[in-house]
Amino acid sequence: MKKLYDFLTSLDLGIWLVSGVMLFLGIGSFIAKEGSAINDVPLFIWLTQAPPAETWWLWITVAILAVLALNTVLCSIESLRAKWQRGSFLIRIAPQLMHLGFLLIMLAHLSSAYGGFKDGGPLPEGGAFSFPDGSRLDLVKLDVQIGPMGMPLDFSGVLRHSTPSGVIKGTFSPNHPYFYKGFGVYLKNVEPSPVRTALVEIHREPGAPLALAGALFFTVANLMLIWLRRGKRAA
Amino acid sequence: MKWLLITSAGLYLFGSYSRPLFLAGLVAELIHMGMRGTALGRLPLIGPHDTLAFFSTSIALMGLPFLYARGVKKDSTLSWSIGALAALFALLALPFRSMNMPLPPVLNTLWFELHVALAFFAYGLFGIGAILGGLYLARNDRTLLDLQYKAALIGYTFFSASMVSGGIWGYYAWGTYWLWTPKELWTSILWLFYSLYLHLRLKGANADRLVAWAGIIGFGVTLFTYLGVSMLMKSSHSF
Repeated sequence: MKKLYDFLTSLDLGIWLVSGVMLFLGIGSFIAKEGSAINDVPLFIWLTQAPPAETWWLWITVAILAVLALNTVLCSIESLRAKWQRGSFLIRIAPQLMHLGFLLIMLAHLSSAYGGFKDGGPLPEGGAFSFPDGSRLDLVKLDVQIGPMGMPLDFSGVLRHSTPSGVIKGTFSPNHPYFYKGFGVYLKNVEPSPVRTALVEIHREPGAPLALAGALFFTVANLMLIWLRRGKRAA
Repeated sequence: MKWLLITSAGLYLFGSYSRPLFLAGLVAELIHMGMRGTALGRLPLIGPHDTLAFFSTSIALMGLPFLYARGVKKDSTLSWSIGALAALFALLALPFRSMNMPLPPVLNTLWFELHVALAFFAYGLFGIGAILGGLYLARNDRTLLDLQYKAALIGYTFFSASMVSGGIWGYYAWGTYWLWTPKELWTSILWLFYSLYLHLRLKGANADRLVAWAGIIGFGVTLFTYLGVSMLMKSSHSF
């Protein structure tokens, strides 16, 4: 049992696992095909529905990441136990904050892979669709500003959302989605003719707050390390 | 305006003789970017011409503190190498036509500009780390490896911050902080690679040469992430 624990907490194991994740993500970058549904549905739906020839690299990556998560947790515990009485508090805690950030980002991906939602399609001006909670969303108006080269410079839309608690008027445009109960309604594109039509997508990313928290932990811990290492020779 | 890039490349190369010349090269390149930015009304970060020029500027800008760092202030090989790297990318930008089109609406956000600028600062630092690794392998001078660590750590921080801003931009622009495309995968590989680099250092002095090599290989991964993916694969980030 002690041998297994030492193996799981070893730095070498962490290094090999990170190398393994890099290798299979690299392979995946060549395998993931254009036109694949990997970005159209939550990840675990894609993983269970796509042919193994397209998914095997991701299954292996997920398996390695699971062991890497365990290695990260155990290494952090060991590091804190070994160094608790030594060095400054910030020196002890900064690497563990980075580990925590990494774990939160993985948790975020898991959460989005299970509970994510993606849907959408073309919607003409004046059209309506059913929101995921059953309420009705009308696309009241679309505005497009076309540049001299014929490219859309900007576009936006006005929405009317009939919810059980009343009608909400909203707007959406690139980089400014309409949010309601954890769902975001995105205006991806507008075709000005023959009928002014919007390409609308609805997303739910339950992992987003966790990913943001993890990334911020990570970056703040990085900054702490730089601050602590300033003017010093590297240890 | 391309003459400003040629001038800066020349000054970077002469910077091995005098650091103020290197500084003058950076000023020339910043003026080039400033003029492009003023003409476009935004940061020039679209297309190979502008991104290569921005990469060159980032290498010079990030290299400056290392040229004046304790222990290497009079090292002409270091200043020549950093100057040559910055000059190389300034010259590589020249054959490409500058893209003067307005920004597509989805790119018209500060999150995008922050994301790209921070990524290039990181790339520049990874390039400087590779040079320091090469010099360490040639001379076995520990100061160079210490400086490589600092370049990698600061670069890693910029890169992490770039991923944060990219994730926020993606969430507001595409509906997700993550897309499974070759660019995102290679961005993760690069981030993991420098995580690996930082952990390799924990193996102690026996791994010093391995660490130096990792800093060199890391810049190879950086170049593939920036140029290789854009040229060889279809992705969300084609420049």
